[in-house]
Amino acid sequence: MGESKKRKAVTKDVEEDAAIVSGDEFDFGQLDGSLSDDDSASGSDAESLTSGAEDDSDAVSIGSDEVPWEEKVESGLLTSKQDGGSVTVDIGAGENDAPGKDQEAEKSEDETPNYRIVKDANGNDRYEYDEIDPGEDSDYSVPDGEANTIGDIPLSFYDSYPHIGYNINGKKIMRPAKGEALDALLESIEIPKGWTGLSDPSTGKPLQLSQQELELLKKVQMNEVATDGYDPYEPTVEWFTSKTETMPLTSAPEPKRRFVPSKHEAKRVMKIVQAIREGRILPYKPPKEEEAEEDEVPNYDIWADEQPRPDHAMHMPAPKLPPPGFDESYHPPPEYLPDKKEKEEWEKREEEDREKDYLPTDYSSLRKVPGYGRFLKEKFERCLDLYLAPRVRRTKLNIDPESLLPKLPSPDELRPFPTHEAGRFHGHKGRVRSLAIDPSGQYLASGGDDGTVRVWTLMPQREVWSVSVGPENAVNVVRWRPGKDTPILAACAGDDIYLCVPRLGTDAGPEAEAAQAVLDAGWGYAASESNTPKSSLVKWSRPSSTQREQGVAIVIHLGHTAKTLSFHSSGNHFVTICPATTVPASQAIAIHTVSKHQTQLPFRKRLKGGGSPQVAHFHPSKPILFVANQRVIRAYDLSKQSLLKIIQPGARWISSFDVHPTSSSTAGSDNLIVGSYDRRLLWMDLDLSPRPYKTLRFHEKAIRTVRFHPATNRYPLFADGSDDGSIQVFHGQVTSDMMSNAQIVPLKVLRGHKVTGGLGVMDLDWHPQHPWLVSAGGDGTCRLWVS
Amino acid sequence: MAATSADSQNSQVRVRLTTRDADLVLEDNAPILIPTSFRRYALSTLVNSLLKSEKSVPLEFLINGKYLRTTIDEYLTENGLSPETTLTVEYARARIPPQYVTSFEHDDWVSDVDVLSGQSPRILSASYDGLLRVWNTSAQVLVTSPGRAHGGHGSFIKSAKFVSPDQIVSGSFDRTLRLWRYTEDQDGFSASLTPQLELYGHKSSVDSVCPHSGSGRILSASSDHSVGLWSTRKSDAPAAPEALVPRARTKDGKRRKLSETTLSQRGPLALMQQHTGPVSGAIFDSNDATVGYSSSWDQTVRTWDLVTASLVDTRPISSALLSIEHMPSLHLIAAGSISRVIKLIDPRVSAATVAAMTLKGHKNSVVSLARDPTNEYTLVSGSHDGTCRVWDVRSTQQEKEGAVGQSLYTLPRASLEGKPSPAVGDGVKVFAVCWHKEVGILSTGEDKVVQINRGNDQT
Repeated sequence: MGESKKRKAVTKDVEEDAAIVSGDEFDFGQLDGSLSDDDSASGSDAESLTSGAEDDSDAVSIGSDEVPWEEKVESGLLTSKQDGGSVTVDIGAGENDAPGKDQEAEKSEDETPNYRIVKDANGNDRYEYDEIDPGEDSDYSVPDGEANTIGDIPLSFYDSYPHIGYNINGKKIMRPAKGEALDALLESIEIPKGWTGLSDPSTGKPLQLSQQELELLKKVQMNEVATDGYDPYEPTVEWFTSKTETMPLTSAPEPKRRFVPSKHEAKRVMKIVQAIREGRILPYKPPKEEEAEEDEVPNYDIWADEQPRPDHAMHMPAPKLPPPGFDESYHPPPEYLPDKKEKEEWEKREEEDREKDYLPTDYSSLRKVPGYGRFLKEKFERCLDLYLAPRVRRTKLNIDPESLLPKLPSPDELRPFPTHEAGRFHGHKGRVRSLAIDPSGQYLASGGDDGTVRVWTLMPQREVWSVSVGPENAVNVVRWRPGKDTPILAACAGDDIYLCVPRLGTDAGPEAEAAQAVLDAGWGYAASESNTPKSSLVKWSRPSSTQREQGVAIVIHLGHTAKTLSFHSSGNHFVTICPATTVPASQAIAIHTVSKHQTQLPFRKRLKGGGSPQVAHFHPSKPILFVANQRVIRAYDLSKQSLLKIIQPGARWISSFDVHPTSSSTAGSDNLIVGSYDRRLLWMDLDLSPRPYKTLRFHEKAIRTVRFHPATNRYPLFADGSDDGSIQVFHGQVTSDMMSNAQIVPLKVLRGHKVTGGLGVMDLDWHPQHPWLVSAGGDGTCRLWVS
Repeated sequence: MAATSADSQNSQVRVRLTTRDADLVLEDNAPILIPTSFRRYALSTLVNSLLKSEKSVPLEFLINGKYLRTTIDEYLTENGLSPETTLTVEYARARIPPQYVTSFEHDDWVSDVDVLSGQSPRILSASYDGLLRVWNTSAQVLVTSPGRAHGGHGSFIKSAKFVSPDQIVSGSFDRTLRLWRYTEDQDGFSASLTPQLELYGHKSSVDSVCPHSGSGRILSASSDHSVGLWSTRKSDAPAAPEALVPRARTKDGKRRKLSETTLSQRGPLALMQQHTGPVSGAIFDSNDATVGYSSSWDQTVRTWDLVTASLVDTRPISSALLSIEHMPSLHLIAAGSISRVIKLIDPRVSAATVAAMTLKGHKNSVVSLARDPTNEYTLVSGSHDGTCRVWDVRSTQQEKEGAVGQSLYTLPRASLEGKPSPAVGDGVKVFAVCWHKEVGILSTGEDKVVQINRGNDQT
């Protein structure tokens, strides 16, 4: 702003200079004029004078870039000397313009000077001109002295300042005081006409609207035409009549008869009244009597005056009438009185179940009747019914719990199954870990913690053979090799597997020799095929001489403790599993071939998911190996050497499982039973689902062993043995019909084994031909259960 | 009350007295009226007076298959019978419960017992220690059989019987039968027992032997599912099958005869192998030595024609059978089963029903049966529950599954000394029973004794 003031002053300087000292300015103007008409140049000068200060300032402000040049002019002669060439030109020009200059000077001398001389900061003179009034008819808008000059800048930029902009004079426009709360209140009380409560954004003052503007706003709000002068309620102009008049209205007066009562009607009423009075008309019909018909049937009371008579066939005594009286009476007839049993029953029943809520009681006289005991309660309940809500009587569902049970055949229909204990096998010291009945069904082999393998006759329970495989090694498994002609017993104790030929009766029977021959056949094979790559970890060796005397034929050194052993039905192969977690994964599962004295380790890696392997069984008829780890059972096709199926029984830790011996040939699919340490017995139908078909959770403790009866066609039975010392026997019929599922019926709980050291039943085996069961117990006995 | 009791004393019932004992039949069979207050004793004196015998015979009375133990009046009210009906009362000689007499101690379980009748009876016992012993009735061992090294059995003896007063047959777990010559010294206090013949043929334990002295034949039952027929004479018997005679293996692998003693070895006359399970017992028909019966674990009783060694008939029973006995006069076969009952079977082909009667009461498998030598209606059974029971087949009741009999007496093991029998007869199992006219009921068992029980009427 100061710059613009300076410029104004400079221009005025120039004029002054031109008039008094030199004609520099005019030279310039001349120069300019040389490019155009002289006249026009002069004319323009004159015009500029007349147009006044505003024009001047305007022009100056436009040519603000000429500032250095003006300063040069201001600094006087020195500058003109510098531009010597131009000075000469100036002179010539000055002379040409001189008369014009003079005229102007005369004009200004006539009028009062329109400026004041003030001292500026440097002490120099400064000319201050008056404001030029453009006049009423000027094209220029009169700027409001107080108008905000900030232009398009949002007002919010000034939010942090006390002012909201600048007026035309560069004065700060202070933010109008918002007023104290009291002021606001006062203002709100006396709302002036047109008060909006808004503030004008440009001035910051409360926005006042005129009446006209308010009406306009109202119209906009009402969604009406906002233009002025629109009248929505103009009177209708009936260009056409809306009525069709058929007849002109009469203006005749109402006849008199319309106001006078009718004499004719009065006459008719009087007639009826007279008839009623005379009795000619009866107001009601008298009821007709129709009892005459019933009197037609005669009644005879044949017992009317009957005397007591002795019993006779032809004598018909009077029928007994219902006992008179009412059992709610204070003195009811004695037949209504409840006897002791009824009384007790009534008292025992729930109040809601009682047929009647009182008990007939006999009092010899009315004054002996005590106060009604239930009076208060009854009234109270009545009140509750009236003012609270109708209370609904509780309706009891009388469902026989028996009817909710599934319909299963009675166990009696499913006989025979083991029902009672027939004998005990005493002899083992410490718990018996495993037992097995030989394929002929006469002998029982058992092995226990005392490191002995014993063979017993099944009946009577007499030990006939035993071998000690070292007291430090508990016998974990004993299993007979399938095949009736060759009694070969496999026993796992410690890190070794012993294949024995027990001496049954004689020292060398023909079948014992055959068994020995079967076992010895492999020595030759092993010798001839010694160069074949065999696992050096597993060694088949001959037993020591003392053990050979006792009947041990082969010792297989496995290197790890095998906990389960299972023969293939052909008897040539058996699989052992060392479930300990320290056993290398590749050595945990081993398949042994008896005829070749060879051991294969089919698995290189640990089975995925579910910990170490636990049990393995061959499929009874197909070349399939089932291997169970803690949670999952996998079925491997041995001929294709591929994984066939993954079975997930859902148990947390599988303890044992068994494959149904015949279901795959009859029903087309395999059935498995799985026992788990989390107390569940699961029936798996492999074609149905990888999940269990039935879950039987009847044991209180872990299930150790499960077993199907080998002759399932005759005896569709299976059993499990648990740590709680009980054996549960089930009927499990697999039908050949593909549509129906297996039928499972719990049959019997066999209790007897004492739980010692948390171990009840350790192992089970079925008799191959009979529905008999043997069980090995933690109490050191084996037991025989028969039907 | 007084009036009613007087009433019952006065009231009478019509009774028809019958008997099945031929020597006790009354001449007059008309019904007689007797007071309903009578008990067994009064009835017995009444019948004795009617019999007009010098020595009164104690009698028992059976009404509708039940022994009368109360007054007749009580019996009538208990069974809801009218006193107006005519009761058919069967009477029989009373039996006093056989009392424990003595026990013969052994070293091991005693598997079988037999009695040789004679001037003084001889008792033969077979034991699990592989030895036979012959006792006199005063519990003295006359002779013990030689051990294994001297021609004895190589293992437990499962069964032993007298063939004749000088011959004994025994069957053993070592799969052989052995014939022994038994000779007794004049003084009767020592005897000798020498092996005579070794009979090979069975491939498994010989569980039972049954000799027939008249025909010189022996039936054997074996666990190898076969019934063997053997001759007692060396000359009759065929040679022993080579494969079964044990031979020791020498170092060079050749086979050599094992036993040093030269004992003749013979084979069976016939082996009948139709059974599909271990044969538990084989007996001769008491009247006809050409007929044999056998019981087996395969739940059948089979009838054999021993002349042709062929199967005649098969009777299926619902459970495995462990013992067999013939009751000739009733044409019944009694078979003890593992299901704790004794089944009475009519073996004749014409018989309509298979099981004529069931005797229930034992708590474990019935492993031995013996008939009463004096009474054709009674028999004794030995069971693994540690008891022997005496049964009367006349005392039966109709139940759902047919006629069911209850035992008359139960003979506990004396070795228990009055203690209650342990569960499943653990330790006191009875393995064999034998009923002899003079000695009484002999039973052997797991408690290593031969126990003798005798009724007072047996002298």
